[in-house]
Amino acid sequence: MLRADPLLRIELLMLASEAQDAALMLARFGVFNPAPCALEALEESPAVAYREAWLEAQARLSKLLEQCGDTGPLNIPADAEAPALADLEELNAWLKEVWTACLACHESEVQIAEARSHLDALEVTLARLERLNVDLAHLLHPDSLLAVNIGSLPVEGLKRVTEALAMTGHLVSRFDQVGEQVFAVIAGPRARQDEVRGLLAQAGWRELPVPDELRTHPQAARSWMEQERTRLNTQSGAACQIMDGLRDRFGPRLHEARLRLALAHPLAEAALAGVRGRGGLAALSGWVPKRQMDGLRTTLNGHFHGRYWLDVREPSAGEVADVPSLVRYPGWLAPFVPLVKSYGIPRYGEFDPALPFAFTYLLLFGAMFGDIGHGAVILLLSAALTRRLGRMAWVGFAAGAVSMLFGLLYGSVFGYEDIIEPVWLSPLHDPIRVLIIAVGFGVGFIVFTLLVNTLNKWASGRIGEALFDSTGLAGLAFYLGAVGLLASLAGVVDLAQPAGMLAALGMVVVAAFKWFEAKAGLGERILVTLIESLETAINLFSNTLSFMRVAAFSLNHVALALAIFTLANGLGTAGHWFTIVLGNIVIIVLEGGIVAIQALRLMYYEGFSRFFSGDGTEFVPLRLSSQQAKV
Amino acid sequence: MSAYLNTRVSLYSGRLWQDEALDALVGVPDEAMADTLTRRGLPQLAAAYPLQPGRQQDPRSLEQRIIAQILDETRVLIRPLSGAARSFLTFWTARFEISNVKTLLRSKMTGERPAAVLARLTPMGAFGRLDNQDLAHAEDVGELLRRLEAGPYAGIVRHARRAFEQSRDPFSLDAALDQGYYEGLTLRAQPLEDTVGAPFRSLMASLIDRINLVWLLRYRFNYRLPPAQVYYLLVGSRYSLPSSRLQELAALDSLEAVLAALPSALQIQLSGVTDISGVFARMERAAAEQALRVLRSSAPDIARAFAYLILRERDLRAVRAVLRGRHLGLAPADIRQALQRAPPEVS
Repeated sequence: MLRADPLLRIELLMLASEAQDAALMLARFGVFNPAPCALEALEESPAVAYREAWLEAQARLSKLLEQCGDTGPLNIPADAEAPALADLEELNAWLKEVWTACLACHESEVQIAEARSHLDALEVTLARLERLNVDLAHLLHPDSLLAVNIGSLPVEGLKRVTEALAMTGHLVSRFDQVGEQVFAVIAGPRARQDEVRGLLAQAGWRELPVPDELRTHPQAARSWMEQERTRLNTQSGAACQIMDGLRDRFGPRLHEARLRLALAHPLAEAALAGVRGRGGLAALSGWVPKRQMDGLRTTLNGHFHGRYWLDVREPSAGEVADVPSLVRYPGWLAPFVPLVKSYGIPRYGEFDPALPFAFTYLLLFGAMFGDIGHGAVILLLSAALTRRLGRMAWVGFAAGAVSMLFGLLYGSVFGYEDIIEPVWLSPLHDPIRVLIIAVGFGVGFIVFTLLVNTLNKWASGRIGEALFDSTGLAGLAFYLGAVGLLASLAGVVDLAQPAGMLAALGMVVVAAFKWFEAKAGLGERILVTLIESLETAINLFSNTLSFMRVAAFSLNHVALALAIFTLANGLGTAGHWFTIVLGNIVIIVLEGGIVAIQALRLMYYEGFSRFFSGDGTEFVPLRLSSQQAKV
Repeated sequence: MSAYLNTRVSLYSGRLWQDEALDALVGVPDEAMADTLTRRGLPQLAAAYPLQPGRQQDPRSLEQRIIAQILDETRVLIRPLSGAARSFLTFWTARFEISNVKTLLRSKMTGERPAAVLARLTPMGAFGRLDNQDLAHAEDVGELLRRLEAGPYAGIVRHARRAFEQSRDPFSLDAALDQGYYEGLTLRAQPLEDTVGAPFRSLMASLIDRINLVWLLRYRFNYRLPPAQVYYLLVGSRYSLPSSRLQELAALDSLEAVLAALPSALQIQLSGVTDISGVFARMERAAAEQALRVLRSSAPDIARAFAYLILRERDLRAVRAVLRGRHLGLAPADIRQALQRAPPEVS
């Protein structure tokens, strides 16, 4: 829970023809994280074609399912085998065929929809032409010297088309606009029609199909319009029938395709990390938890009966940065993990901060927002919204409970300080004590983070940094000495001399370390050493003072409640209770939100940044696509 | 923020390549190449040169690595910007993504497999707005265009689709995409031209005038398109070659006639040029000179940043020419001849 599981690096060699089954077996095993293969002798990539075929087939299947609807829940039999490359390519070809047929129907539907909308626009246009009472027969007469086109084009291109057509002696007369389409008449010398054809096509010009009836008189177009609508409806119906036919005819086969693609997914996924091979051999490489190694061997023997070769080794010092982190959390801690991961993933071997994070976060939240009533509201709201919030509701639930606990300690119920006696102290009546406790907590927290950082550095082999750096033991010595010195000056303890010596020793060691670490000229080295040593002192001091906000927010909580009571007391009975209720809602939503963020900020910047690099890689096991993660 | 961008542009401008540095690059030994490129601020290009034997080769093409370098630097320059300036520089990077769109469309016309085309696309990093995986798996041009039309370049693609549906000509697709992109760029430049003024406008003028003139010559005399169609395919311009002038030029019958009808400043710039590639080279050189003047002036930061990006891209093309020439085993003298490009020092 506090550290990642120890992992082993494995290279699994098997017959290339069984690679898909090996990947499927590893996915079922549930704790194999694929990684690039390091066997240089294997220079081929035998799973690339498999992955390519899988991606194409999967894309086609997704589009088909989008059109035809889901085919129901997918149950993968325990003994089902993964398809070979030839099977996968055959499946891909079939899916292509079906999707092409489906696409033609889909395209046809889109075109029919466009034609309908064009017809609607045409109807409006014809109604206007009708009012003009134009003799279109005369206008559109094919034997005249004048070529006339009636049609539409996108409004944004009209100006440019008009200018371009003017170069060929053509005129554009716009007579209507429906949406983004402009309806226009283009007229020009028939001899130059060829010159404008390409231009009009480029401009998206769409010729209006002017029926013969319209050529004699616009009123006669009504019946033609009706015929067109009927024709489009018939076409649309035919397209729908084809789509329905696809669903009925291919539904079961599509379900089968889903199953086979799910079985092929592990090798396609492993190929992304890099499956290497040569001749008839293929190698899968990755990481497996040490404690499950025996289980893996047993499973491999059960499947391949000795037709494999397994190389197992501990991660080398040089590759620790590439080893994924696998940490197992108990159910009650899991909801806090996303809050840690939003900062970063712990490196392999690094201290995992989820557990101290959960405790400290709740403690800080409760201390800043201690109120039995407000805590109860948060708790009840979290309980009521469990279904919507999922596991995160547990964070709200715990925060509400801790807030209630601190409310009991502070004697605060919905801001009222006189209903129950504080079990511990009232922030309003003893603010200095609250401030001292907050800073004291901050000192303890920073000491903890420095210790953890020392351990992390030590574990990763950076002994120099662990002992002598500003965030290592030397920094800790300086910090403890400086705190002791300040406490002595404040008269709390009498340790001025040893504390001062400890602080000085710590700072000298830190400065010496910075001096040796700085790879620069003399002047720059002096500057770096001075500035970084000074920064160490300033950072530790300011980080400690940051914890004063815990006290400030606990006082702020009471002060807000007092302000609401003062407002409410100046009003009548109804106004009084309305203000009290509204004020408490504001406190819960606004102040509760701010306190939640401030507690997170304290954890991230005063805590995590000191010991947690957050640049680790998450352990992502290979798994069947319909299978939930076992880890 | 302004001080940050100003300092950043000034620091970056130290990375620009002088003729001598490019000349020296021709003769750098292979084993020292990675170090030389890294020292010149080109880690993305240095990644292709293994210093240790057995080191894994960078799978990206030289072109992809050059664009990655440009995108890296643009990302840094964009950081302090907001509003119109940010929108403009972000859209300036979009031409690489439009190029990806063209690659995708061509792959659908030729029936290329998705994995092959995906490997050829330029990774756009934080500037990427398209789901290349999804687009590469479209079944044909029609499906791809529909998918693109539901994305961030809907305006550009809708126009291209209509043109393609009418003509079924791949040329009309490419031309419509290019035109749509540059129309979008001039639209985004308009507010900056109003606020930033002459330095920024001069950079846009060099760019759009060059594009319009080269396209006009190419469409008119290489592809033999009618004047009206040529004019329609150009970018709406408000610079040295406004719409009325472009109409007149498109109606002329020969390259010489077009060059003779240009405004006097352009005529002087292009004197002695006899072909379209010469027009492009000469105008690009003039644009680089103008960008260098803006970069070295006390112009507003966004103008200097844009000028730097123009010069940087030109530099990287020259570096690419050197690297490619070396890769192909060309003689140093041939590579040097191909590098006749640098603008003279501004006095």
